[in-house]
Amino acid sequence: MRRSELALVAVLAVALVATAVYLPQLTDARPAYEIPVRDAGDGDAYADATGEGWSRTPAATVPLGSTGAAVPNADDVSIEAVDVEAARTDERLYVRLSWADATHDDSTGAIRSFADAAAIQLPVSHESRPPLAMGSTDNQVNVWYWSADGQEQELLAGGAGTTTRFEEASVDVDAQHDGDRWRVVFSRSLESPHANRTTVSDDQNLDLAVAAWNGSAGERSGRKAASEWYYAATGPGPTGPPYETLLWVVAGVAIVVTTLVTVEGVRRTRGE
Amino acid sequence: MSSQSDGTDVDLAEGIDHQVAMVMDLNKCIGCQTCTIACKTNWTDGGGREYMYWNNVETKPGSGYPRDWEELGGGWEEGGDERSPGELPGEEEYGAPWDFNHEEIFYEGSDEPLRPMDQAVNGPNWDEDEGAGEYPNSYYFYLPRICNHCTHPSCVEACPRSALYKREEDGIVLVDQDRCRGYRYCVEGCPYKKVYYNAMTKTSEKCIFCYPRIEGEGPDGEVRPPSCAADCPPQLRLVGYLDDEEGPIHKLVNEHEVAVRLHPEYRTEPNVFYIPPFAPPQHSEAGERLDAERIPRNYLVELFGDGVNEALNTIQREREKVRRGEESEVMELLTTTDSSDQYRLEVFQ
Repeated sequence: MRRSELALVAVLAVALVATAVYLPQLTDARPAYEIPVRDAGDGDAYADATGEGWSRTPAATVPLGSTGAAVPNADDVSIEAVDVEAARTDERLYVRLSWADATHDDSTGAIRSFADAAAIQLPVSHESRPPLAMGSTDNQVNVWYWSADGQEQELLAGGAGTTTRFEEASVDVDAQHDGDRWRVVFSRSLESPHANRTTVSDDQNLDLAVAAWNGSAGERSGRKAASEWYYAATGPGPTGPPYETLLWVVAGVAIVVTTLVTVEGVRRTRGE
Repeated sequence: MSSQSDGTDVDLAEGIDHQVAMVMDLNKCIGCQTCTIACKTNWTDGGGREYMYWNNVETKPGSGYPRDWEELGGGWEEGGDERSPGELPGEEEYGAPWDFNHEEIFYEGSDEPLRPMDQAVNGPNWDEDEGAGEYPNSYYFYLPRICNHCTHPSCVEACPRSALYKREEDGIVLVDQDRCRGYRYCVEGCPYKKVYYNAMTKTSEKCIFCYPRIEGEGPDGEVRPPSCAADCPPQLRLVGYLDDEEGPIHKLVNEHEVAVRLHPEYRTEPNVFYIPPFAPPQHSEAGERLDAERIPRNYLVELFGDGVNEALNTIQREREKVRRGEESEVMELLTTTDSSDQYRLEVFQ
């Protein structure tokens, strides 16, 4: 092999390494429907809705849509997307939802007043994903519900219209509105001492769906903007940067080999 | 379900054994609001219920309580399968309770007259006695209203959580306070606006037909009629089951058809029925009787549907029978002062 060919191979090798290392970061490649979960240390920086830990946490922008529920104007919903961020300690999971809402509706104290609200839906059991619309009788869901009028509730549901409140909520919520945007942190211990409540496991990812209501638009009940099922990457893999790197290395090797074979083919054709 | 009697069918809601009902004779109502207060002291005295009148008496023609409730929608579309969602009234439509200067007058020695602190702009029966028509032929009448405990209740259908339901034993419509999450679709959905939102409990509430009273759950264990009926000075209400063939309600509603529903076009099939109001005929400026009805018939048709024509004609015929010295079951039922005839309490036992 001549010196020019050696140089070409060297350039390709450098390009391969650079591609494998930097391209995943540049494209921020992440499997669809994944909510990354960051290590929250001792959790102090995450309990607050504007805690400084959240500035270091990658957000997944989750599109929302109406649910087709059997209530008047169910299709008329106003919140288009929610940014979802997650972090965990050894004992606790933090999920922050944030979305644009210029109206701060925190009262249900008048007949026509409805409060802004948000909820996270989780399967009670990890065995199979429940139906998105509030689960089903034999595959129930937990709902962490917050309303801007001060309600924080943990709910159990087995189908639309069946939500039932647990007497004691073990979910903590901190919510702040800055004039344009709600930021709401839900947190709960990974394991729940109570029956029918979701346990967050190290062994697998955590399915979740989110919903948000704009009170001043009359949104409540099934008239809500809701997501499809997503998952928080609480489990060990196979997702994440090592997997992506492997993919890019395989692709890079294929490119190099193809290039070398082509160069060699051209060289032989010319009879060199 | 329907029960058969004397060739008349009584349609009851699916799965309901009996249906509580009332007949209110509008010719007896003097607008004293004793029924309203009887209800209020029993059920809505404080706790977020200040503005609620599960029983109210309004003046017709008039805007009613809540104001213009007849224009807020609800009930069922033609055909009876599709709901008309309706709108929520605001506090001002109900006429939120006013604050008075009690403190200054009773404790601070003020000589000011007792009056509302803020400008009073609306209240229940705000337009009392305004009525309609021109002197000397002006007219009005009072319309007492409670929940109609409808056979086809749109409030029940409106609730996505099935928090409202009809009691199997007697068709009373109730709100399960544990199921209710304060969505207020029932408030919108009731065309009579007889479901109320309690902003303190964050649940909706309504008339319960005094079910503890008809169940004999009071301190003395006696079965009693609902408070609004029992306390009415002119005793204008008859209480019982619609399907009780021996009772006055069945006879007035189903046999003689002189008691009619308010706004039947809402298609919820109310179980409160009204004996339509009569008024003296119109008079000339000189005070002579004219052959013209004072309360326009088309207004009564607007309120009570076409059935009011035959009801009024029948009552007129029955009155004339009595004048001629003949017997009239209709007039017997409407003029009895025997409370055991007015209240068929034995059916509740």
